[in-house]
Amino acid sequence: MLAPSLFGLAAFLVLPILVVLWLSFQSWDLLSPITPVGGANYADVLSDPTFYNSLAVTLFFVVIVIPVQTALGMIAASLLTRGLPGSLFFRTIYILPWVCAPLALGIVWRWILAPSDGLLNDLIGSRIEWLADPALALPSVAAVVVWSNVGYITLFFMAGLLNIPQHILDAASIDGAGPIATFFRIKLPLLRPTTFFVLVTSIISVFQLFDQIYALTGGGPFVVTDAGTYGRTDVVASRIYSEAFATFDLGRAAVMAVVLLVLLVVLTIGQQLYFGKRTTYDLS
Amino acid sequence: MTSPKRILSTLGVYVILLAAAILTLGPFLLSVMTGLKSPAQFASEDSLALPRPFSLENFTTLLTGPGQFGSAILVTLAMTSVIVIFQLGFSVLAAYAFARIDFAGRRVLFWVYLAGLMVPNIVLVIPLYLMMVELGLRNTFWGLVLPFMFGSPYAIFLLREYFRGIPQDLVDAARIDGAGHWRTLVSIIVPLSKPILATLSLITIVSQWNSFLWPLVITTGPDWRVITVATATLQSQYNGNWTLVMAATTLALVPLVVLFLAFQKQVVRSITISGFK
Amino acid sequence: MAQRFLSFAAVIAASALALTGCAAGDAEDEKTTVSFRLWDSTVASAYEESFAAFEKENPDIDVKVNIVGWGDYWTKLRTDVAGKTMDDLFWVNNSYFGAYADSGNLVNIDSALGKDAREGWQDSVVDQFTRDDTLWGVPQLYDAGVAVYYNKDLIEAAGVTPEALADLSWSPDPAADTYLPVAKSLTRDSAGVPATDPAFNGTAAQYGTNIAYDTQAITLPFIGSNGGVYQIGDSFAFSDPKTVEAFQYLVSAINTAKVAPSAADTNTNSDFSRDAFLQGKMAMFQSGLYNLKNVADGAQFDWGVAPMPKGPAGRVTVTNGVVVAGNAASDKQDAIAEVLTWLGSEEGNSYLGKTGAAVPAVESAQADYFDYWEGKGVSVDPFFDVVEGAPPIPAPTGANYGKGFEAFDPIFQEIFKGTLDPKVGLKQAEDAANAAISG
Repeated sequence: MLAPSLFGLAAFLVLPILVVLWLSFQSWDLLSPITPVGGANYADVLSDPTFYNSLAVTLFFVVIVIPVQTALGMIAASLLTRGLPGSLFFRTIYILPWVCAPLALGIVWRWILAPSDGLLNDLIGSRIEWLADPALALPSVAAVVVWSNVGYITLFFMAGLLNIPQHILDAASIDGAGPIATFFRIKLPLLRPTTFFVLVTSIISVFQLFDQIYALTGGGPFVVTDAGTYGRTDVVASRIYSEAFATFDLGRAAVMAVVLLVLLVVLTIGQQLYFGKRTTYDLS
Repeated sequence: MTSPKRILSTLGVYVILLAAAILTLGPFLLSVMTGLKSPAQFASEDSLALPRPFSLENFTTLLTGPGQFGSAILVTLAMTSVIVIFQLGFSVLAAYAFARIDFAGRRVLFWVYLAGLMVPNIVLVIPLYLMMVELGLRNTFWGLVLPFMFGSPYAIFLLREYFRGIPQDLVDAARIDGAGHWRTLVSIIVPLSKPILATLSLITIVSQWNSFLWPLVITTGPDWRVITVATATLQSQYNGNWTLVMAATTLALVPLVVLFLAFQKQVVRSITISGFK
Repeated sequence: MAQRFLSFAAVIAASALALTGCAAGDAEDEKTTVSFRLWDSTVASAYEESFAAFEKENPDIDVKVNIVGWGDYWTKLRTDVAGKTMDDLFWVNNSYFGAYADSGNLVNIDSALGKDAREGWQDSVVDQFTRDDTLWGVPQLYDAGVAVYYNKDLIEAAGVTPEALADLSWSPDPAADTYLPVAKSLTRDSAGVPATDPAFNGTAAQYGTNIAYDTQAITLPFIGSNGGVYQIGDSFAFSDPKTVEAFQYLVSAINTAKVAPSAADTNTNSDFSRDAFLQGKMAMFQSGLYNLKNVADGAQFDWGVAPMPKGPAGRVTVTNGVVVAGNAASDKQDAIAEVLTWLGSEEGNSYLGKTGAAVPAVESAQADYFDYWEGKGVSVDPFFDVVEGAPPIPAPTGANYGKGFEAFDPIFQEIFKGTLDPKVGLKQAEDAANAAISG
């Protein structure tokens, strides 16, 4: 019974990881024969500032975008769990972006943010180069990502909030705690498992971020320095894609993939060690 | 007791909720609206102006013309159906094994499956491209679906949890009647798991219909082009021709929006018990 | 060893096919279908007509035309060649064919069609695509040079005559520059105030010109007409002082004089200026014959063609050709040779000219092109005179040009946006591109 899925695991997960590991020691441009180059790709990538730039851009999403979207999700969830009529209607609207193709939504936003003929500039009546200005591009892309994710996060917090026993909230209210105090002293601590879960899945999804970037900026705009040219929105997935399918340096792309994988393994283990005892999730 | 303060705060909440709803819905509505405009109206009038007259020209161009969106929708549909059926079928089998059969290394193996969840697509795309090329499967339907057919760690995880919640008594009763694993699975477990299977189908449909990176890399040309790739290709070819491009994004988005509105409750439940896309 | 490991990986995955019982089987056809790829949809319809005639004479061969847009063309070409899913015949240009010729992916034209086949083909195109004394493609079209399409209504409204337009010269020295003042007078903000007026609000609603990061129509002609260089051999030479001067002129025209669309618009949308011109929002549109049919079909106003502006070194254009190459890995070599022979013949190539889509590279077929446009009352002379007037600046080339391009392209984008000083940026672009092609 396990055979088909075991086969799938071996052929389409374990084997590809071995292939990418092998490829990271080869040189290949998709035209010439594949030739082994030892550790040269590793030396090359690990001293390449453009790769570190893409890690930094990804880190920006982890430390800025994730907290923002988590906070917004929490706020929306607490507004939607006040028992007001119409809450379900609003919830339905907020989740809409989740069911939609990030690629297609990215293209819609590309139009909204276009310098000429773009909706936003039309509305505000001035000309701002949202996606081309090196200072604005990353915040703009980040805003689109937050826009796509908030509704989905809201749902988890709604579920979490509705799970909090009413008598605890009543007790707090009798003690004279206002809504703000109740939120920080009671709800937030009780939401910890939900928050943990949301953060973990958000971090995984940041490393998957590709479609929106492809649609919006392709990794640009660029900052040019003596050390190299950095894409302001060049997340690690878009860097790997460009190395493989624009510059056709498959060896370097493979090294980046391996490094990314190692980082994720370390991150996951660290997360387990740090949070493992504090959560109520049982994976046994 | 409704104090003015309370009314005011409720009003404030509604204002915020409404603003957020407009912000969420706006891009959808405006893209549909723009897709229904003629290029001439788009060039001469305000972005918020209603389409006048409603023009289906962009859509007919897409469905009959260079983008070949009709074929792209069919390919996407075929790809999604095959993956959903096989992936769920094989995941059910694996989940049953993990939930109900004792074998050596079960725990370790299960962890290996779970670890698969955190491997980003971009890591696998390059080696899978090479493997598919070696197999001569680039730009074929099988190249498109094969890597996703044999089950998903995520579905296996959720199904296993669900299967373990099914009372042992029912399974034992079947056992006493002489049912093997297969019959137990088909006649007891699966019928009792319809809700989770519906949920997983929805999640899988959403993620496959929307998938982009793998189809982008493994297919080429119009034969096996899926809707996301068709949209991206059109965008790069008809750059700045926003009425046509917004008609394309509308075609890509509408089927799932409709599916979502039809199965809204199930989707909400599926997200809540899931978490991964 | 390397290949063996990969095959092993493939075999394991192959068992998947056996499991699902769905190995791909090729249906045998009596007809051979040959696929042909190109990036230009205007020319594609001319090819459809040509292949219809071909199929009549060769009922056993079907030719399928496949358009892959310019934005994806070179990525798809590479992944399709490596993925063994490349079309049997495909367009290539001078900048990119080298790598494919060197790696043995192109049909050797001299052996497939014979050394004499090249007799009737445009020499400059044959030369461009000859590498190691071998010709790697059948010349299809010849680009001639660039010239300036202009909107008659807009120039008249600004009091500029076509004759004056034909006599413009640009120069880094403002005293000798007559081009920019005219471009300014042709630029209007949304209130209709020309850029020459101090009241101009700085945002053009009508553009004077299409100066932008457009290698073929703008960058190379401006470099060339300032006496600068782009490449020396295969390596990049952007830091040449004359090249830097030309860039400084272009960048300041966009960002200071504001006579052209912002680079934020044109960098990522190479059709932005063409669309603006066709919408009547641009007065001068410097481009090549590849846009003639678009302009003739799309312009709802009176238009004309003027020679490109003279630079300090005269009028120097770039000229390019496009060839159709055969896929050496295809198993349909006989049919490929048949189609190549047809496309290199007067009749096969003439459809490009008859429809006005492009100048045929088969010289005896070129008359059709001139007849077509003469019939429409359009003079294409400015595109040809400029090539004869002075030696053109060489088109970008090199076996690794694509790799170099990926390195300098983002830097060029920023230079044109004005976020990077041209002198500094060009040096960095040159170093980065040269490092990329050597590595």
